[in-house]
Amino acid sequence: MDKAVIVDRLVKDFEVPQKEPGLSGAIKSLFSPKKKTIHALRGISFTIQSGELVGFIGPNGAGKTTTLKTLSGLLYPSSGFVEVLEHDPWDRAPEYLKQIALVMGQKNQLWWDLPAIETFELNRAIYEIPTKTYNENLKELVDLLEIGKLINTPVRKLSLGQRMRMELTAALLHKPKVLFLDEPTIGLDIIAQQKMRDFIYDYNTRFGATIILTSHNMDDLTNLARRVIVIDEGTLLFDGALEELVDKFAKEKIIKARLANGENLKDLGRIGKVKKLAFPEVIIAVPREATAVAASELLQNFPVEDLTIEEIPIEDIIRKVFRGELTR
Amino acid sequence: MKKYLQIFKISFQEEFVYKLNFVMWRVRNVFQIFLTFFLWSTVFANPQTVIFGYDRSKILTYVFGIMIVRALVMSARAADISSDIAQGDLSNYLLKPMTYFKYWFTRDVSSKALNLVFAAVEFALLFVILQPPFYFQANPVILVLFFVSIILAVLIYFFILILVSSLTFWAPELSWGGHFLITIVIVEALSGALFPINILPITFQYIVMATPFPYLIYFPVQVYLGNITGQAVLGGLMIASAWCGILWLGMNFIWQKGLKAYESTGR
Repeated sequence: MDKAVIVDRLVKDFEVPQKEPGLSGAIKSLFSPKKKTIHALRGISFTIQSGELVGFIGPNGAGKTTTLKTLSGLLYPSSGFVEVLEHDPWDRAPEYLKQIALVMGQKNQLWWDLPAIETFELNRAIYEIPTKTYNENLKELVDLLEIGKLINTPVRKLSLGQRMRMELTAALLHKPKVLFLDEPTIGLDIIAQQKMRDFIYDYNTRFGATIILTSHNMDDLTNLARRVIVIDEGTLLFDGALEELVDKFAKEKIIKARLANGENLKDLGRIGKVKKLAFPEVIIAVPREATAVAASELLQNFPVEDLTIEEIPIEDIIRKVFRGELTR
Repeated sequence: MKKYLQIFKISFQEEFVYKLNFVMWRVRNVFQIFLTFFLWSTVFANPQTVIFGYDRSKILTYVFGIMIVRALVMSARAADISSDIAQGDLSNYLLKPMTYFKYWFTRDVSSKALNLVFAAVEFALLFVILQPPFYFQANPVILVLFFVSIILAVLIYFFILILVSSLTFWAPELSWGGHFLITIVIVEALSGALFPINILPITFQYIVMATPFPYLIYFPVQVYLGNITGQAVLGGLMIASAWCGILWLGMNFIWQKGLKAYESTGR
């Protein structure tokens, strides 16, 4: 398979004006503006094959959105090399832009006062989509996202979830080969989230589209992303299959046991960290390398009826990622 | 080209969404015409009055000429560009296979077209009611020159707007102030929208006529009135074209630099 995205030692710095709080701070900053350089990306490298669905995760301000914006040609890299579909995104060549889409969960391209269908028509002209293809694509998206009744309603009268689906339709009418999704499920209710996820999965498998998505929604990641890239403070911490994330970062394993009686319960602390004790069930976290020793010690010293050893749930690891607690 | 036609259509539609707003805007225009008419009619109540070489008929034509030319040249939506930059909405356009400048120019043209259609109807009505001593230019050569000067004025104003808006890339907090200074203070004063340039001392006139601003309003109106003729018209058109070129180059240069500094904020 060919590479859809190549990123090599990408660096992006921002100059951010600093202002002290309050009016006096505002006046001070007028006369002696202070600027601080923020290193949004400190040299990240990765490649993505065409047809892959990759999740970008990391705490807020880690550099995920900056990466997506650079890949879609909005930001000029401070240094490093970026190539998407054999184009330098910064050139914003029309042939390139016709093959990509960037969807942001927060803002919209829809014309606020007009029905969404008008924006769709405008995009048809801008992307130069042949009428037949346009009609097919539109029908498909309308059916998939169930928005048929809403396309003639002025956008300002739609709910957030309805609007997000319109946004997605507007962004996908030209059938992009590479899709950048920034928090696609933010602010949606659970049913709408599920619909959005189904759609993303479907779009990826049906058209072989390459999709990169950022999300703080656990379900988005566990259900969609086969591969994840973890970024924190502008550096790449992990790049690999979702399951490997656990092998790499879970320093502990979980022993679950059912006890026959409640003797010596206090001594359980010697085995490992007692996560939960609700007699007869007990859950203990133990260091990975000491799992076997801890399990046999438990079996010898306690009236164990049943025992299982499990990995730490992927969700716990991802939660740690969001909190910025992962280190190399 | 088709894409810009579609942009033209959707811009037009958007103008009509808030119908009451639209009507009020037109009512305001009509009032403005009334007020201006009565103000200058009063000043020139005595038919012998001549101020700075303008008599009643000429000043009224000048004032109405300004109104029409202004409606054509200065009704521009491109002033929204700086908020696009500051709020990150620019990203939406940069992601699309189209030229941002052409997009805004199309929207400007649609706004001007709308303005012109309604202004024409209103003027015709008011003309019948007020019967002002209006000066009609019949010379086709002058009308062609007038038309050319209007096109140059539209371009110059568009380029100035984008140049000023580009400041937002580096200083988002200055964008409104910059607009106010350039578009309201300098452009309004030096374009001849407030007073004819030829009432200024002669040295000032030379200086002002070397800037791009009088070619926005003063120059086209004077060409229409036949006050600037022959060599002077061609000279003026040359200066205006030169400014057009300079501003176009400057705009592209600054814009490319700006895009590199663009942070696509707000998301």
